[in-house]
Amino acid sequence: MNRLTPEQLAAGVQDLPSLPAVVMELLSSVEQEDIDISVLAKKVSHDQALTAKTLRLANSPSSGLQVKVTTIQQAITFLGFQTTRNLITAAAITGCFPSGRCNGFKDKAFWRHSIATAACARALARRMRFNQDIAFTAGLLHDIGRLVLVTCHPEAYGQVVAWQVQHGSDWLAAERAVLGIDHVDAGIALADHWNFSDTMRQAIAYHHAPDILGAGFLATIVHVANAIVHALDLAGDDDDVVPRVSSVAWDAMGLNEEAYLHLFRETELQFSEMSTILMA
Amino acid sequence: MSAPYQLTPLAETRPGMVLSDVVRDGKGNVLLAQGIVLTESMLASLGRHGIDLLPILQAVPAPPPLDPDAIQARLDHLFRKHDRDDLGDWATGILRRYMEDYRLQREVGA
Repeated sequence: MNRLTPEQLAAGVQDLPSLPAVVMELLSSVEQEDIDISVLAKKVSHDQALTAKTLRLANSPSSGLQVKVTTIQQAITFLGFQTTRNLITAAAITGCFPSGRCNGFKDKAFWRHSIATAACARALARRMRFNQDIAFTAGLLHDIGRLVLVTCHPEAYGQVVAWQVQHGSDWLAAERAVLGIDHVDAGIALADHWNFSDTMRQAIAYHHAPDILGAGFLATIVHVANAIVHALDLAGDDDDVVPRVSSVAWDAMGLNEEAYLHLFRETELQFSEMSTILMA
Repeated sequence: MSAPYQLTPLAETRPGMVLSDVVRDGKGNVLLAQGIVLTESMLASLGRHGIDLLPILQAVPAPPPLDPDAIQARLDHLFRKHDRDDLGDWATGILRRYMEDYRLQREVGA
C-alpha cells in the first residue's frame, strides 16, 4: 500500500506546475467585481498561447458573437468581463497539467468529464438564477484533486486505478483504500495553495456530499451536474458509472422533466464545441 | 442557402432530384423555383434555355437509426450502481428515467 500523509500531499502540491500569474489572480478574485480590466487584458495578452486559445473559445459559435474578436480587450467588450474571465481560466487550466504520467489514468476522459461538468453546471446555474461563471469554473475544477494526485504521485495513483478496476468501486473509495486520502482532500489542498475563493473551495470540498450543512448551493449544483454528465456518457470512458444522486440536491433544483431534457441537449452541444477547442 | 447543394451538369441530373435554389436564364428571369422536384420535361426545357449546371440539393445523410436495445444496455451499464427497487434512491432513479426518455427519444408530456 502507498499511504500518503497530509504532509506528503502538501509537499506534492507545492511542486505542481504553477499557473500563469494572471490566471491565479483571476481564480482568487472570481467573486470580485472591481478588478482593473485593462490591466488584466494586457497581462493575458503577454501569454500568446493562452490568448490564442481564449480567442478561439470566444469566437466559437456558442458564444453567439456576430463579430470575430481578435484581442482579449475586444472579447471583454463583446462578451463581458465575467465570461471572458471564464474562457481564460478554462484555457489555462486545461493546458497546465502534464498528461500520460500515470499508467491507467485516462487524461482525456478526465478533461472531457470536467469540461462537460462545467458546461452543465453553467446551464443549471442559469436556470437557478445563480452566478453562471462561478458555476462554470467550479464544474471545471470539481475533480482537480484527482489530477493533483496523478501528477504528484503517479505510481501510487496507478495502484488506485488497479484497485478501482479490480473492485469496481468509485474513485473516492479506491483512493481512500490505497492512499488513505482522496481527491477531495487533494482538491482542497490545491484550492488552498492556488488561493481559490472560499465558495470555490467549498464546492470542491462538498460536491460529493451536498447534504452536509454548510456545503453551499454551488456544491449542490456541481453535484447534480456531475451526475448528469456521467449519465450523458460524455467522458468517452467505457467504465463510466453514474454516482448516487443526493435527493436533497435533486429537490433543490426543482426542475421538471422538460427542463432537464433541454438541459441535457444544451450540455451536449456546449460540450462538443468547447472540447474541440480545449483539447486540441 | 444553407442546405448543402452541388452544382450538377445538366447531363447528370435525373428526374426526382430537387433544386436547392431558383434557376434563372441568362437574362435573370426565373425559370424554376427553389425546392422544385425535377421532371423529364423540365430537364428538356432547361436544355433548350441553355442551362448547363443545376444546383441540386444534396441528401443530408440520415442519422443512424436508433438501436433501442444497445442504448438501453449502455444506460443500464452506466447506472449499474443504481437499484431500481431502492426507493430511498429515488433521485438517481428519476435521472435514469429522464436519461432513458432522452436517449430513446420517447415522447414526454409537458
